[in-house]
Amino acid sequence: MPPAIHPVDLLQVLRQQRLTPAIVFLTSRRACDEAIASFEHRHVPIPTTRSAAITQVLDKMIAEYPSITNHPLIPTVQDYGVAAHHAGHLPSWKIAIEELMRQGCLDAVFATTTLAAGVDFPARTVVITQSSVRKDRDIMELTVNEIQQLAGRGGRRGKDYVGFVVVTPSPYIDLGPIANGLTNHPEPIDSQFVVSYPMVLNLLKAHTIDHIQPILQKSFSQFQLNQRADAYETKLDEVETQLETYGQRECADWIAQWQSFTLAKKRRSHHRLKTRHDPPEVSAQLAFLTPGRVVELSREHAIVLRQYRSRGQGYAMLTIIRNGGSIVEYPANAVTAVIDEIIDIAEAKKFPWSTPQSLEHAIETLENFPTRLRRLPIRVDQDGTENPILTETLSDEFPCPTCPSRPACQKDHPQAWKLRQEEHRLTKTIHALRTELWHRFQQHVEVLQQFGYLTPTCQLTPEGDWARLIRINHSLLITELIRMGAFDGIKASLLAGVLASIAHDDDRPASFHGRHPALVTTLGQVRKVAHSLAAYEEPPLLRWDIAAIADRWIDESTLPWNDLIHSTSMAEGDIYRLLARTLEYLSQLHGLRATHPGLADVARDAMDLMRRDVLQELP
Amino acid sequence: MTNDTLATQLAGLPVRLLHHLAKKRVPRHFRMGKNRLIQSLLTLSPDQQAEVAAALASLLQESAHLPKPEKPEKPAKPQRPPDTPSRQSPPHQRQTVPAEPAISTKALFEGIGVPSPQPFKPDDWQEEAIDRLVTNDVILSVPTGSGKTYVAVEAMRRAIEAERTVIYTSPLKALSNTKLTEFSQMFGADQVGILTGDRRDNPQAPILIMTTEILRNLLYDAASGEIDLRLDTLGLIILDESQFLADRERGVVWEETIIFAPAQSRLLLLSASIGNPDEVAAWISSIRSTSCHLIHHRNRSVPLRAAYLDPSSRLAPFFRTRDIAHGKGFVLHPETNRLFANYEEQTLGPRRR
Ligand SMILES: Nc1ncnc2c1ncn2[C@@H]1O[C@H](COP(=O)(O)OP(=O)(O)OP(=O)(O)O)[C@@H](O)[C@H]1O
Ligand SMILES: [Mg+2]
Repeated sequence: MPPAIHPVDLLQVLRQQRLTPAIVFLTSRRACDEAIASFEHRHVPIPTTRSAAITQVLDKMIAEYPSITNHPLIPTVQDYGVAAHHAGHLPSWKIAIEELMRQGCLDAVFATTTLAAGVDFPARTVVITQSSVRKDRDIMELTVNEIQQLAGRGGRRGKDYVGFVVVTPSPYIDLGPIANGLTNHPEPIDSQFVVSYPMVLNLLKAHTIDHIQPILQKSFSQFQLNQRADAYETKLDEVETQLETYGQRECADWIAQWQSFTLAKKRRSHHRLKTRHDPPEVSAQLAFLTPGRVVELSREHAIVLRQYRSRGQGYAMLTIIRNGGSIVEYPANAVTAVIDEIIDIAEAKKFPWSTPQSLEHAIETLENFPTRLRRLPIRVDQDGTENPILTETLSDEFPCPTCPSRPACQKDHPQAWKLRQEEHRLTKTIHALRTELWHRFQQHVEVLQQFGYLTPTCQLTPEGDWARLIRINHSLLITELIRMGAFDGIKASLLAGVLASIAHDDDRPASFHGRHPALVTTLGQVRKVAHSLAAYEEPPLLRWDIAAIADRWIDESTLPWNDLIHSTSMAEGDIYRLLARTLEYLSQLHGLRATHPGLADVARDAMDLMRRDVLQELP
Repeated sequence: MTNDTLATQLAGLPVRLLHHLAKKRVPRHFRMGKNRLIQSLLTLSPDQQAEVAAALASLLQESAHLPKPEKPEKPAKPQRPPDTPSRQSPPHQRQTVPAEPAISTKALFEGIGVPSPQPFKPDDWQEEAIDRLVTNDVILSVPTGSGKTYVAVEAMRRAIEAERTVIYTSPLKALSNTKLTEFSQMFGADQVGILTGDRRDNPQAPILIMTTEILRNLLYDAASGEIDLRLDTLGLIILDESQFLADRERGVVWEETIIFAPAQSRLLLLSASIGNPDEVAAWISSIRSTSCHLIHHRNRSVPLRAAYLDPSSRLAPFFRTRDIAHGKGFVLHPETNRLFANYEEQTLGPRRR
């Protein structure tokens, strides 16, 4: 049996069952293109009357978008009534295909799953061939939201009594996730709020620093963090009520007192036990790394079974269980994030430190985790006194041995101490949740102060006042380059090339012949600056082949579009997007005309030169 | 250990442990059901089989100390495709096999056709949304293809009648272009403008289309005193595809836009179905001067059915029932189960070696 149905056979079945027009979602652009090509091989043309209808619509589209006049796929569309629709195509071509679909001229469009939101046209039938997609180098299962986005294109209001989803297998399919996606409730969405340098500058342009916190409070992010914090508040109340039941003792804080007393006793008996000074990030986390806590270790999730100190050096160590069930010892500093999730673990006195049932439960939980879990924000205390209870001075003199409360303290302490630690942990968590955004904002403020965009009192310096207008990715790199004069007297084509390589964040290879020395030297300098800023902003890829494409398009102002796209292996649609994005970046530089008239003029020139041919068809 | 004893021992294990044994040994084991897993474990190389036997022995030893599981592994679950790993969805989300017989393929494809043209009559939820927008912000979270655009267009019409301007944002330039054409046809080309990073076509028009990033930038400029006059008369902001709020890279732009949207403008968020529209509505209510009204339903205006198509061109109903039920679990059609098991058998089988 073939691993997947042949596209021509697929369409034949769909036609037989009156399931056309259909959108067929495939795994890759190439799969879409090959599907179209296979219609030519098998040569199953549509009736000429239908071809004529397609030609008519296409002619109208060509009148509007001349760039598609000689599009190589026109004959296929006309003869077979099928088309491909993916990001490798020009927007104008995609618009033409969408129009053909809306007019009901096509039987099938083969599209990639990755950009379901961009497929804004309906059909009678949607064909799904995969249950996972490639995202940032990982294979990820489609979410319920995504499957419903795909399936939702099936059934046109007013044109269909009923719509269909046809599931047909490919090597990338499992039926479970698809069935689940079709029937289940979509996932709740989470805020993805991030603080950026332009955000800080723009907020501080309009408001003084003491008005910022209330503004951050308005974010969906804070709204969701507050809901989590509220849930913890309720827990904290419970813990505090439980602690109250112990009533009054001789001393004010008997729990801490008894703890110090027992620690001191222990010290005396084993004097080799050292307390080690952990780095602040580690000690801030330690209180949270208790049995049952879910943590992130570089790329995987794991569950803590126990926390202990290594024998020799006294490093903070963890015993954890990983997905698949292996139990491993890790230094606590290997934990990359603490997850806001604790599972019930019954502890045991010896390896594997918890009961077999708990282990089973842990393994099962790990297997069922969704890929994205909420992290717990953890504030690192700069002053170092991470745990006021533990850093209580251990004096040698304790009233405990003779205290009348002693029997009660001795009896209650283990439970009370646990509660006290829980109280401490909850308080810290709540604090971190409530102040996380503000904290992140402050970190960005500090960087901007260090670079001279903000005054010590958090007002915009003259530099900050123009820098706030650069509201794109890699804004710090761009403003720093401007400040150090890297763009002074630069050629329009070179400026566009540099910006293109800053804007482009795809590392798929694209061969391009046309490397020239000026470009390579300039990019070398930019790369140096980008790396010097790496601690504050992720450096862009800065590919010279990408820069060369933009550079050439501007430099050779009579170069036809087709010649440009044939000089690289990059898809037409990708080049278009690259140049469109470069235009956006250039327009931001043009926005600096009040303070940097020379640079703004060069940017304007570059934009004017760029906006020709295909690039001026659409706004 | 002979193959037979190994086989019986494997058969006694829960599927989860079989997957555990198959990890790193059987390619794509996660797609296999119990029988297939056992088979592939038994056809491993002698070396690997010895490993499996050893791992199995230690597993069995461990489990000897365990209390017996309360509920025995169910012998067979005909409703689950044999190749669906059990972790895909918790068992409680699946239905038990209902009493009615499974639907036939013929019945699945009954009723296909084009309805005769009907005079346009807005749905109740569409009218509700338009009415509510007079006084409230509105989130419209309804299935794809239901007619959100109608609400947007009517709301725009009313705003223009009241001499207010409208900003319409979409996440993708491609969608902006489509909407430009669509709205120009409805309102007249002079009534619609578009703003992109470097181009302003008809920027004085009462309806302006732009990406959400551009609107965010306008709002920042307005906040810092460089007032863009249009914002004073801005009556309505429409955020299409606002489920982008959850986009990893760009979601923050939607948040900024909503936070800084002028108080006098109404917000209309159009969204595909998301899990927590009520939470988004509660958030917007908590930061804006009027409350945000949520319109949310999951009823598709055109019902959807699902079919399974085998590479051999055979068709079968995907689910046991004709219509796709929501939130009640699912039962795959027995024929689909059979065809898919067969497909897996044939496509995975030879590749293993
Ligand atoms: N009340 C109605 N009666 C009949 N048809 C309608 C009604 N409302 C909208 N439609 C039609 O439904 C179709 C889909 O509408 P629309 O494009 O607005 O969907 P949508 O909700 O925006 O979907 P998407 O999630 O894909 O953006 C359009 O062709 C429209 O004319
Ligand atoms: Mg829409």
